[in-house]
Amino acid sequence: MSDVLLALLVTVPLVAAIFPLLFGLRYENAGWPIALAGSLVVTGLAGTLAWEIFTASTETGQRLVHEMAGYPAPYGIELVGDGLSALIALLISVVSVAVLIYSRSTGPGSNAFYSGFLLLMGGLLGMTLTGDLFNLFVFLEIVGLITYALVASDDSGMAAYGALKYLFLGTVGASLYLIGVGYLLVRTGSLNMLDLQARLADIGYTEPLVQAAFGFILIGLMLKIAVFPLHTWQPDAYTYAPDTVSAYISALVSTTAAYALIRISFDVFTVDFFAANQLITDAVVLVASISIVVGSLLAAMQTEIKRVFAYSSVAQFGMIVVAIGLNSRTALLGAVIHLVGHGLMKATLFMGAGILSSAYGATTISDYAGLAKRSPITSGGIAVTGLALVGIPPSIGILGKWYIALGAVESGSWSVAIIIFISTLLTLTYVARIIETLYFNPPEATHEETAASESVEHVAVGDEAVADGGLETRVATERIVVVAVLAVSTVALFASVDLFTELLDPVFGRFFQ
Amino acid sequence: MIEPTIRPLAAVAVSFVAAAFILASGRRPNLREAWTVLASVSMFGIVASMVPGVLAGEVYVTNLGTVLPGVDFVLRADPLGVLFASLASLLWIVTSFYSIGYMRGLDEHNQTRYFASFAVSVASAVGIAFAGNLLTIFVFYEVLSVATYPLVAHDETPEARAAGRKYLAYTFFGGGVLVLAGTVLVYWLTSLAPGAESATVDFTPGGISALANADPTAASVAFIVLALGFGVKAGLMPFHQWLPSAMVAPTPVSGLLHAVAVVKSGVFGIARVVLDVFGPETLADLGPASFGDLGIALPVAIIASITLTVASIIALRKDHLKRRLAYSTISQLSYIVLGLALLEGDALIGGLLHIPAHAFMKLTLFLCAGIIHVETHTDNISEMAGIGRRMPLTMTAFGIAAAGMAGIPLVAGFVSKWYIVIGALDGGNAVFAGVLLVSGVLNIAYFWPIVYQAFFETPDDHDTKPLLEGPFGGRDAIRADGSGRTDDHGTVDIDASVDPDANHEGGVHHAHDDTDEHHDDHHGHHGGPPAGGWPKRNWRGGESTWFMLGPILTAAALSLLLGIIPHTIVFMRIVETIVGNLPGVVV
Amino acid sequence: MIDPGSVLTTDLVGLATTRHAYVLFVLLSTIGLYMLIANENLVKKVIGVNMFQTGIFLFFITSAYRVGGSAPIIEGAGPYVSPLPQVIVLTAIVVGISLTAVGLALSIRLYNEYGTLRADALREVIGDE
Repeated sequence: MSDVLLALLVTVPLVAAIFPLLFGLRYENAGWPIALAGSLVVTGLAGTLAWEIFTASTETGQRLVHEMAGYPAPYGIELVGDGLSALIALLISVVSVAVLIYSRSTGPGSNAFYSGFLLLMGGLLGMTLTGDLFNLFVFLEIVGLITYALVASDDSGMAAYGALKYLFLGTVGASLYLIGVGYLLVRTGSLNMLDLQARLADIGYTEPLVQAAFGFILIGLMLKIAVFPLHTWQPDAYTYAPDTVSAYISALVSTTAAYALIRISFDVFTVDFFAANQLITDAVVLVASISIVVGSLLAAMQTEIKRVFAYSSVAQFGMIVVAIGLNSRTALLGAVIHLVGHGLMKATLFMGAGILSSAYGATTISDYAGLAKRSPITSGGIAVTGLALVGIPPSIGILGKWYIALGAVESGSWSVAIIIFISTLLTLTYVARIIETLYFNPPEATHEETAASESVEHVAVGDEAVADGGLETRVATERIVVVAVLAVSTVALFASVDLFTELLDPVFGRFFQ
Repeated sequence: MIEPTIRPLAAVAVSFVAAAFILASGRRPNLREAWTVLASVSMFGIVASMVPGVLAGEVYVTNLGTVLPGVDFVLRADPLGVLFASLASLLWIVTSFYSIGYMRGLDEHNQTRYFASFAVSVASAVGIAFAGNLLTIFVFYEVLSVATYPLVAHDETPEARAAGRKYLAYTFFGGGVLVLAGTVLVYWLTSLAPGAESATVDFTPGGISALANADPTAASVAFIVLALGFGVKAGLMPFHQWLPSAMVAPTPVSGLLHAVAVVKSGVFGIARVVLDVFGPETLADLGPASFGDLGIALPVAIIASITLTVASIIALRKDHLKRRLAYSTISQLSYIVLGLALLEGDALIGGLLHIPAHAFMKLTLFLCAGIIHVETHTDNISEMAGIGRRMPLTMTAFGIAAAGMAGIPLVAGFVSKWYIVIGALDGGNAVFAGVLLVSGVLNIAYFWPIVYQAFFETPDDHDTKPLLEGPFGGRDAIRADGSGRTDDHGTVDIDASVDPDANHEGGVHHAHDDTDEHHDDHHGHHGGPPAGGWPKRNWRGGESTWFMLGPILTAAALSLLLGIIPHTIVFMRIVETIVGNLPGVVV
Repeated sequence: MIDPGSVLTTDLVGLATTRHAYVLFVLLSTIGLYMLIANENLVKKVIGVNMFQTGIFLFFITSAYRVGGSAPIIEGAGPYVSPLPQVIVLTAIVVGISLTAVGLALSIRLYNEYGTLRADALREVIGDE
């Protein structure tokens, strides 16, 4: 029974994607409820999947398999649900629901958008669950195509520009990935991940063709993840996309690509490959370390808020890729926790930024001056999430960082450990600026309302007061609630280590035999 | 005996909850202040209720579940924790009343944020006190940094924001980078220990046993990283720069947080690391043989000695009273660190006892500085000649506390310093005893003139202050207002930044501001005596409001009591229990 | 199957005569990639992407080839060429066409908005660094 769950997880959103357009012919606002219903169903399915794996005691129970159309592996395509993919599937579905609730009043509200949204969700889930390399490519491209379209769904020329830039680089990335897969196919004749693992082990990991295959796959996926210096598409795409879309893709698209990299690195090539190719391992660690530092510095230099968050992703994903290169079980646990945590945090930050930009037109850091008094809840959400991103406990941010750092220490990579510890300060450079502006910079007098509300305050009680709700009522309440709930969840997940270890232990047990 | 109870958690939670109530009742100032007072009193009550049990050997533990394998989020009231927690909660009561007087007296903005942050800060300080392991202390240490940031940047002026940034950068370098790194190292080292089931970072009196056999180099690195990480908040040089800058905060903040909670949490962290993570015996064994008896603690002792001497000398040169106090704080904190680093029974007692002693005295001094600021808008020592006429009670309290700082008998500072000096001599480290005595002289040199001129000089006839005025090395001739040589901001007018009144012209002034002291506030001149010299005020509280005088006299009285009857007011007994529990330490 | 390492050791003449399809794959892909990077015209960039992908398709098809093999249809007589790469390429072509369509649509929108198809001009207008 349970294997059908996997098929449903992928097909429900894909099939549901038809309906917004179909019913859209008749009802103008059919899109949102359908999309919400679809993602709620998916959330239920993902929850069930995670719960089944969480409670399973047998090895087969912890790794559910569905053979598509009944063709057995390695000839047919299989969907695989284990602790790792269940976790990512859960993240995808939860963020989808959150973003949908957030998007109700702000759009982009066309039915085509919600069709795209569901397709994207289906693509992401497909990437997460597939056990086949070429199938992964197809889902990668589905995700890519929809993302380009959604980025451009803001009718501005800039959005089209960002989308096109993303399209060029994204396609190159996917194609490089495809070359790598081609090499593996040529050498082994198989595309199934586990089958490949066995065959590669027979062939040995030092063959140039195998090394080249990994190289192409790595670079292709790094392009999709947006690791420095392959990140150039990402800030434009995040910045020019509509707020809803920025929140969604920043939380999930790169995340799923990073998940794919983890999956391929450890399920196909395995730790032995890394051990046999020290040069490749070192290169991965080096590039990712540079990404952490440079991404943070670039983020600190930005003035536009969405760009700050975009470059911040470059840095944070650097941290995740570093953990992959460290080739340590502890670090990989940290990487997965940070993957999930970063997804939640970035979604919150972009949604918070979306609220402030739609309420006050604030898009740069200096526009944020004094907004904390007028939007206390949203600002609080941004501040809390920002601090979580820095890695201030108690939050999920510190958990991921803890394990990645511990992994670096365990494997004796002192320079990496130092960079990860220093990353607190690096992240602080941009987060502190935002918080300080929100709370301690006097509002700019150019905003007429600002001046008005200020004077009211002083007459009233001599300190803050007034603001709660006042101006923020212009923003739909559910958007604020979503931001607040997500912000609280980033803090609450500090207590979630058991969940992660329980789900991931069997998977990592296979990775690190 | 370990007793599971929710009391440690309750002590922490009461003030977190209070913060929520304070935020919710922001529009009704009286109710809001009631929450603060209620929370501080009940917090002190809860902490005090544990003191007898702790002295009898009980340890109260609240376990909140596992965070990492082998590491629980646990609050644990042991003697050391109770020492710091009782201190912080007691002085929170004192400061709460003072805050109310101060903030209303100056008609400050954003008082709700101020009181809420204050409550969270004290809560995390008590959390630090009761933290049962390195991870828990790290969590509260970081929360404390976040919660005090709004207090430092409270004024929202460019200088306050700059100070806030500096504060964040320093404390997160200490906490998020160094303490985290040290914790990870300890976790890693203990997981490697032979026979260890899982890693541990739990505090154990006398040290975690697994560390005694760990790789010496890595263990030494872990100790130094942790000591420096906590040392940032403890104002160890060269990480002390944030403290003087943070003086732009309102004075109660400087008082409680920068003489009691924040800086003491740094010192307390070092105490935990020395006593309960590594243990004096392990530390003495670590480090190269040339380090002698002190082992790896020697570098820390040296840094502390340098800090306490240099900071005293810098303090001599500061004309701005709060800044002089800030450098005095830096210097006094290093007494504690030095006492701990000497790894000897008496020195440990002295160092630990100096935690409450310094807290009482320095709080008195800061509160005096604050009341002078509120009443006369005077911040610079050079303008305070004869101020004893205007504020007799305040300056008397100031005199008592200053005497204690210098180590004069019958005041708290004497007892603790005595023990540290004895410990240094006993351990054969006469050099450090010498450093302490020299610093005592310097203490007198920078405090005595203030007291002397307050009572025995008049504005028209007084010596120039500060004593040392020329720049070190003879360069840097430009000086704005005597506030210091390389004081980061050149000619920035410090008075303007600590004087929020300048931005709040319409504010309702306190009833006691009945003289003409405010007339020229907005024309460049701040503070100093009015034209005809200081008016004479009586000794019955005519100089200010009892909201502020009461706390000052309480704090001063506590410093005296701790100096005269240290055992009776419990702190000495707690300290002796702590040191007595350490295996291998002879008192 | 390629003998790993032989590609490098075989002399260039051998490479050109026996592995010409792979040489073509590399050439086409590189030219496509170069076009994408170096040409400022958006439509030509799209063509470059297409060429890049076509090179890769060619690689897949080549890898399926075997001497004397017939199309992998059950009725015919064996031996067959490998069917798997054919399927892959069919799918990939579909993906490629969709990408081209989206790329061209975006180019048209940019042209309508800014009146140019040149990437450098667009960068200037938009102020992209």
